[in-house]
Amino acid sequence: MADLRINLAGIESPNPYWLASAPPTNSGYQVQRAFEAGWGGAVWKTLGEPIINTTARFAAVGFNGKKVAGFNNIELITDRPLEVNLKEIYETKKRFPNHAIIASLMVEPNREKWHEIVKRVEDVGVDGLELNFGCPHGMAERGMGAASGQQPDLVEAQTMWVKEAAKTPVIVKLTPNITDITVTARAAVQGGADAISMINTINSLAGVDIDTWNTIPHVAGKGAHGGYCGPAVKPIALNMVAECARNPHINVPISGIGGISAWRDAVEFMLMGAGGVQVCTAAMHHGFSIVEDMIDGLSNYLDEKGISSVQEIIGKSVERYSDWGNLDLNYRIVARINNDVCINCNKCHIACEDTSHQCIDMLTDPNGQKYLEVREDDCVGCNLCSIVCPEDGAIDMIELPQEQPPMTWNERQAVLAGYKDNEREAAK
Amino acid sequence: MSNGNRAFISLQDLQRNFDEVKSGLTPAEARDESNRCLYCYDAPCIQACPTGINIPSFIKKIASGNLKGSARTIMESNPVGASCARVCPTEELCEGACVLNDSTKPIMIGDLQRYATDWAIKNEQTLFKAGEKNGLKVAVIGGGPAGLSSARELALLGYEVTIFEAKEKAGGLNTYGIVSFRLPQKVSLWEVQQVEKLGVKIKTNTMIGRDIQPEEILANYDAVVLAVGMSKVPMLRIDGEDLVGVHDAIQFVEETKTKELSEAYIGKRVAVIGAGNTAIDAATCSVRLGAENVKILYRRTQEEMTAYDFEFEFAKQDNVEFRWLTAPKRIIGDEKGHVKQLECIRMQLGEPGADGRRGPAPIEGSEFLLEVDVVIKAIGQTRFTDLIESFGLEHQWGTVKVNLETYQTSNEKVFAAGDVIFGDGQGEAMVVTAAQQGKKTAYAIHQALKNSIIETA
Amino acid sequence: MSASQEYFEEKEKIDFLFYRGFRVTRVTENLDGAAVEFERTGAAGQEKEVLHLQTADARKYFSSILFHQQRNLTPAE
Repeated sequence: MADLRINLAGIESPNPYWLASAPPTNSGYQVQRAFEAGWGGAVWKTLGEPIINTTARFAAVGFNGKKVAGFNNIELITDRPLEVNLKEIYETKKRFPNHAIIASLMVEPNREKWHEIVKRVEDVGVDGLELNFGCPHGMAERGMGAASGQQPDLVEAQTMWVKEAAKTPVIVKLTPNITDITVTARAAVQGGADAISMINTINSLAGVDIDTWNTIPHVAGKGAHGGYCGPAVKPIALNMVAECARNPHINVPISGIGGISAWRDAVEFMLMGAGGVQVCTAAMHHGFSIVEDMIDGLSNYLDEKGISSVQEIIGKSVERYSDWGNLDLNYRIVARINNDVCINCNKCHIACEDTSHQCIDMLTDPNGQKYLEVREDDCVGCNLCSIVCPEDGAIDMIELPQEQPPMTWNERQAVLAGYKDNEREAAK
Repeated sequence: MSNGNRAFISLQDLQRNFDEVKSGLTPAEARDESNRCLYCYDAPCIQACPTGINIPSFIKKIASGNLKGSARTIMESNPVGASCARVCPTEELCEGACVLNDSTKPIMIGDLQRYATDWAIKNEQTLFKAGEKNGLKVAVIGGGPAGLSSARELALLGYEVTIFEAKEKAGGLNTYGIVSFRLPQKVSLWEVQQVEKLGVKIKTNTMIGRDIQPEEILANYDAVVLAVGMSKVPMLRIDGEDLVGVHDAIQFVEETKTKELSEAYIGKRVAVIGAGNTAIDAATCSVRLGAENVKILYRRTQEEMTAYDFEFEFAKQDNVEFRWLTAPKRIIGDEKGHVKQLECIRMQLGEPGADGRRGPAPIEGSEFLLEVDVVIKAIGQTRFTDLIESFGLEHQWGTVKVNLETYQTSNEKVFAAGDVIFGDGQGEAMVVTAAQQGKKTAYAIHQALKNSIIETA
Repeated sequence: MSASQEYFEEKEKIDFLFYRGFRVTRVTENLDGAAVEFERTGAAGQEKEVLHLQTADARKYFSSILFHQQRNLTPAE
């Protein structure tokens, strides 16, 4: 069986699955249950000045009858006194010395306040700190969370203050509610962060009740934006992790967060550069026991690939992620329909006909049997038909031999510069 | 999927008729169905499974693409889980307990279980590793579901296990007694192989009393598991039972799984006596062997019939006729000694007897003749009483007496599980129950012997 | 006319000019595509041709040829 242990910036855990700082890590009781179920670590629900929550805190977005495709919350950080949390962290760590406990922290952007909380949580034996610069609601109005996480200078300064006091590794948790996450990630690195984690939740409104005209959720008839997470946000999170992982200036480990629900998601995040992952929504939907398959599936995957340690896969796909301008314009794929598998729903035809390049013909063979065929010369290889196809194996995207050797957009523009008037002029 | 309608019966290619009738789920079906599971906490399906398979977990693993993990979750709790996926009365067990019965429709747990175990069979997976040897030896007599299950658990606990199996192959009822079109032999043999891979020795063609004596076993092993199941069908005790064309249902089914299929039944008229699951199996086998007409005769009514509902439905789809309140009185042969007719008598039900079932009584003068070529007896099974007695075990009409907590017999070194303890108020005759009893005997043995492990270590 | 047909026609024109010894001297890309100027000096003196390429595949094609010509001309350093 493959070794699932990870070491993220010096924080060790028996497997890469940590519970993210969120409702599941609110108390010692919960975190201990999670460790019993098999979770490798937990980022304690954010510690800070205890807040007051509303009732009606969560809402979910379903998709075509499936519940919780996305999840929205307006719950804030811990509402319990620091002393109580610290006592429970201490007890939990004592019971589970080999599991990672990371304290998530959020205080005002004030050096002394950061120093004070860092000292107090480190005294009870946490393995690391995670600075919550991402919470998008409630705390932001008070100048904390996302409000400070959206300003690179504040990220850098606060990270520096924490590093002045911290003895354990410091992870900076970043908000996705920003144009370019690599900017704040670099600020965190410049501030001395040992690692970064992403993404926190995305500003969201789950819905509007079309009968009552209330927001979903609403608090006594009023709503406020929440933070979006769950399976729906995974592609956004994965991109942000990948952008940071491939940025040469961001050379610290990444803890991946965002829509991770099963072992495959974890593999994807780790291939894209995450040194470990954090999970919340999936546990809230199904309970802590889901980690059993996450561990088992990951372990079987690694065994099948002949990989002895999960750490070996970290970042293996990063070099395959680049800018659009570096993609080969001469690479060609086309759709091919396997008529013996096709169930003739014609969804590919209409998708192509109405919304792509009109290259799937509806034909009738000599026996009067209807069939679909791709005119490969006209197919631009967009994948749409295979995306809408409901039947496994009915449409394959086939690689064609290249007519021309590889050439990227950047290479094309460079060579054409020599043939263009304006650029010739500029060169003179 | 091809279930639902009567199978096409080919008279040219009988083997085809014995192909598994129900096709497995396609990957797309398995994906959709597994994603429909709610992943309940403290799930009622787990409670309803005699072996306690963590059903939501194995289904989640199908959904996540962890098929090896899924198969392991199934087989961990049930060493004959691949067979049970096909033969369990799921609507009475896991699927009957599914919470979705109250909202939409239950998850097809049996089919998903088959999907995961079929994957493991196809991909030649080895799911378990033997425990570190603890120096103790256990003999398991009988390589059927109970014996295999017990041997598997004991091997995981580090015991050196030897199975003594009278037949050519292990697997018991799953290998020989359940019709191929419901349970292909290769499924059962894969389960046997999984147990063998743990270092369990299986001595086949080895009969107690003939090839090895009970005393020898009792002397050479630290514990013994008696899991010999049941024997052949008893005599009807009517005239003509020795005529050519009278068969024992168990042997009849076994022949369809071990020999080339006989063409002797094509166009024949068959009467099956009894209405348990074996009777149904014999009837549907007859149909698949090309019999023109197959009747099941039962002296009570559909109400008292012991066959599962789905078996009954299956037989009806095969055009098997059911004659209730009908008992055989005499088998009449022709001049060559072949079955020619069956004399029957109509019955009526009296007051409920001690077992709660209403007893049948013949209606005087209601005799009638059925034109038949074949009579198959399926009125239950006899016991290996001699074998039980050769071990000196207490029993009641061949049902070995055990402590239902420990499965210990009157000889504290001998434990018993499966059909050998079924009856007389003890347990149920399902494969899945036998598997669970096998596991429990293993744990009971470990409980009894673990102190001696510490001493030897 | 199908998109591929438009491309094949433009490609044919490009190939024909290259075949006749023309070389690209100037490229102007604008909202309507690419104007590619070809020249050759032969017996008849300086000849000039302009192709107005509209299809994406043709614009990719001629530039790909230029790119690989240049790559082959540039000695490995």
